[in-house]
Amino acid sequence: MNLQTVGTSPHRGGGFERVTGQQKYVADIKLPGMLESKLVTIDCAHAKILSIDTAEAKKVPGVRLVMTAADLPQPVPRFGPQVADRPVLADGEVKFHGEPVALVVAETLHAAEQAARLVHVQYEELPAAFTVSMALDPAAPLVMDPSLRPNDPLAKTNIFNEHHFGWGEIDESKADLVVENTYSFPMVTQFAIEPHAFIAAPDKDGIAVWSTIQHPYWLQKILAGLLKLPLSKVRVYAPDPGGGFGGKQHTKYEPALVFAAMKLGCPVRLVLTLEETFQAVRRTSCETHIRTGFTRDGRLVFQDIKAHYLLGAYVDIADRVVAKGSYAGAGPYNVPAVRILSKSILSHTPPATAFRGFGNPEVNWAVESNMDEAARLLGIDRLEIRLRNLAKKGDTFIPYDKPADGDWSQTVLKAAELIEWHKPLSPSRHRGIAVGIKLGPTTGLSYSLVRLLADGSVIVSCGTSDMGQGARTVVAQIAAEELGVPYDKVSVVMGDTATVPYDQQTSASRSTVLMGNSVLKACRAIHAQLKTRLAKVYKIDESEISVEHGRVALPDREYPIPELIKVALGKLGGEIIGVGEERKDAEQGHPLGGPACFYEFNCTAVEAEVDKSTGDVTITRYVTVSDVGTSINPLQVRMQDEGAAVQGLGHTLMEHYIFDEKGRIRNLGAADYRILTTMDLPKEFYSETVENADGPGPYGAKGMSEGALLCVSSAVASAVGDAIGTTIRDLPLTPERVWMALQAQK
Amino acid sequence: MSDFEYVRPTTIDEAVRFLAAHGTEARILAGGTDLLIQLRNNDIQPSFILDVKHIRELQTGVQLKDGLVSISATVTMSELVMDPLINRYFPALVDAANVVGSVQIRNRATLVGNICNASPAADSAPPLLVYGAEVVAIGSQGKRRIPLNDFFVRSGVTVLQRGEFVASIELPVPTTRMGAAHVRRTRRRGHDLASVTLCCGVQETGVVRLSYGSVGPRPVLALDTSGILADEKAPEEAKTAIFESIFAQASPSKKSMRASPAYRLAMLRVLGKQALELALARLNDQG
Repeated sequence: MNLQTVGTSPHRGGGFERVTGQQKYVADIKLPGMLESKLVTIDCAHAKILSIDTAEAKKVPGVRLVMTAADLPQPVPRFGPQVADRPVLADGEVKFHGEPVALVVAETLHAAEQAARLVHVQYEELPAAFTVSMALDPAAPLVMDPSLRPNDPLAKTNIFNEHHFGWGEIDESKADLVVENTYSFPMVTQFAIEPHAFIAAPDKDGIAVWSTIQHPYWLQKILAGLLKLPLSKVRVYAPDPGGGFGGKQHTKYEPALVFAAMKLGCPVRLVLTLEETFQAVRRTSCETHIRTGFTRDGRLVFQDIKAHYLLGAYVDIADRVVAKGSYAGAGPYNVPAVRILSKSILSHTPPATAFRGFGNPEVNWAVESNMDEAARLLGIDRLEIRLRNLAKKGDTFIPYDKPADGDWSQTVLKAAELIEWHKPLSPSRHRGIAVGIKLGPTTGLSYSLVRLLADGSVIVSCGTSDMGQGARTVVAQIAAEELGVPYDKVSVVMGDTATVPYDQQTSASRSTVLMGNSVLKACRAIHAQLKTRLAKVYKIDESEISVEHGRVALPDREYPIPELIKVALGKLGGEIIGVGEERKDAEQGHPLGGPACFYEFNCTAVEAEVDKSTGDVTITRYVTVSDVGTSINPLQVRMQDEGAAVQGLGHTLMEHYIFDEKGRIRNLGAADYRILTTMDLPKEFYSETVENADGPGPYGAKGMSEGALLCVSSAVASAVGDAIGTTIRDLPLTPERVWMALQAQK
Repeated sequence: MSDFEYVRPTTIDEAVRFLAAHGTEARILAGGTDLLIQLRNNDIQPSFILDVKHIRELQTGVQLKDGLVSISATVTMSELVMDPLINRYFPALVDAANVVGSVQIRNRATLVGNICNASPAADSAPPLLVYGAEVVAIGSQGKRRIPLNDFFVRSGVTVLQRGEFVASIELPVPTTRMGAAHVRRTRRRGHDLASVTLCCGVQETGVVRLSYGSVGPRPVLALDTSGILADEKAPEEAKTAIFESIFAQASPSKKSMRASPAYRLAMLRVLGKQALELALARLNDQG
């Protein structure tokens, strides 16, 4: 196929507006008569609310409303993407540090903040369970009210759910070596640069909401349910978010804003501070106990994995994170026997939600570190042990799921070549390597509308959220390619549930494949209509015309589509409209609701130095290689992989929540929760792809953007372990932790 | 943030008079890089913010007079690192000023503010102590000079009295050759607060002045007059013994989340050696 736009890297859709400050983020939007608001919280992880005195707060000039749970419909409405467990405002009990007990609305933010401090909450502090072991203690306080989970045998525990996956007979497997360890993965936050923000405004006989949301249609559904309004009366605007990383997938404080706006009859806005954001979104932390069996020659015999994921006080989407994160826990390997038990454990901590990698990095950290340890014990090269076990293209490495959809050894070998795996190193330098795999979406539904206008320009309407990953650019490239128009003549409309057709969600690296295919189908619907009209105009049979890939072939000659659009439309002009629908239905009986649409496969290789006097880790060379099928936009693919790698280096080297003895988060905000700066980046950075056009998306593309985060920790720890001669099993690998490991050897 | 009144005097007299009346309810604004955080977090609720940036007498910058280099209260870290006098006589102060915050912070933050904030982790404190700095304070009782080592009490607390403020910091121009270097530990390479900050100065006479911070309630200054640290041929054990006595005053907090006491104490020793080597190399370079 002779591609024109696909496979190139045109300027990013919306990029100019972003870098010049012209883009209006939700926090930039000012509606006429809009009021500002502030959340009221107490400095506790777990408490019974005795009373809330709002009298003094209401006296602050400019204050228009101080809303508590008592001001909401009773019983207090609850919501959640998996289970409706989260109250709009704390309902008699605060279950995590930062859970709002009231919302103050005022004419200025300053007045709202002042009044928020004057809301007097009387409470009785209760013991909090904020670690896995505390939550699993039989004496632990119950996080979720058992009445919210009727007929659930686990209702009187803090275990929300248990997931069992596996095949083969572990207990009868004979292994020459069994490596058994426990690994911990820290609690970290998504840290989007754009603040989370929400506006709610009465809209005739309905409601309009602006949100920094990845899934506007899901938010629409939740709000319609809470307000008992038809979907058509709930309009969600979702301006392109400034980074999401999973943290902006689901409803948070929009319901509270909606109730306040409806009470007051005017628009109300809430912009979260960074500190509040830490208390709103985070990744599941995890403790993984793992037993891995090997033959003498390094072949996997079994994987026996128990993963204890720590959820927050409300489930959000985190139980799905646990299921999907652990399901492929045995990795991209052929393993004869696998037993995975993962637990979703509730705790008095901020609700965990989706975060790039969706539960997979947590278990990958254990599995790949165990591979390294086995390699060392068996005297097998760490690259070789992975190649020996890697599933080959077409291998059914997870029974009943999609077979391996790529030649993954190519990816591994490319990474090995870029890190010069077999080349001798200076004694101070060490290498590490790891692989990671993640399932793409298991279900999906994406509609799109493509309009070919009379002058040969194009408007694409699609409900994907472009939060920086570049979906605007990718869908525009696909439409330009299929309709034969220049990229610059394509406009993309997103972020308005009233005018843009339904898209299930922007997550699981799906949009290039699912929305991409939807746009492709919409363009093909245009091809079909063009064919019909041209057949009429030229008075020939439709079978004599072919329209595809931007060109019209008539019996005498070929034309680019734009040259014939006027002919096809005739005197009245107008436009040709194509509707696209891409659907991946659920499959009954499948443990995840459906097999993977594609796999994200990545190999990361690292060269590092460790300063033994301080524990400092310096990454001297970093290599990330992903199997992406086809790069629709090579520059964006590279940017996504580099971004994922750097984000992964955060939880690998420095990021983690620190709690005090009562379960309050001590390092709220940027001063003591450190993320990487440009000065902390690897000294050399290589990011490459493997492209065999073997994906299910347009032109053979697979989804990508999470893969390069999956095994960052494992690869870095592999190099650090090689340097210090001991394995560290807790993240992050701070200088202090590395130094402690060195001291322990003395 | 609570409401406050903003006051902008143009003379020292005006400022002194205002502070005499409202000293306990006022906070001083120079660079504001610490003040604004405290205001935003509602850690402080002053009734007045007194901005000293427009006081004419405090706009003298960096000046050399009678063997003293004075740095006025409005001099920012960025100005400091560009200043030829500071670069010539006090290179370790340049090292330290260069790592305070980020470029944007250094463009606002002042040296005097860094000292008055009295954070145990202040990076400029160790070099100023090594170079023998004095603080020039002004209040309704007039002007007084306070050796910097007598200035700090504990975290956030100095000997400044109600209504007093710091007009400048003065450093004696070294009369003998001296090599000095500032080093520190942070949790990342990008801008960060120090978990240990340390400066070592070696004089050609063999006296070593060593100062460290972020391992106790205030920065510590110690002297080695034995000549052992300055002697590159002295046995390691002898040097270690001196370091141990110098570092005996370190008492890192158990509560800090930036580093454990054990790690800070170990890093203090690593940094001590590192700074001594650098300082000796700089001394030799002058020779």
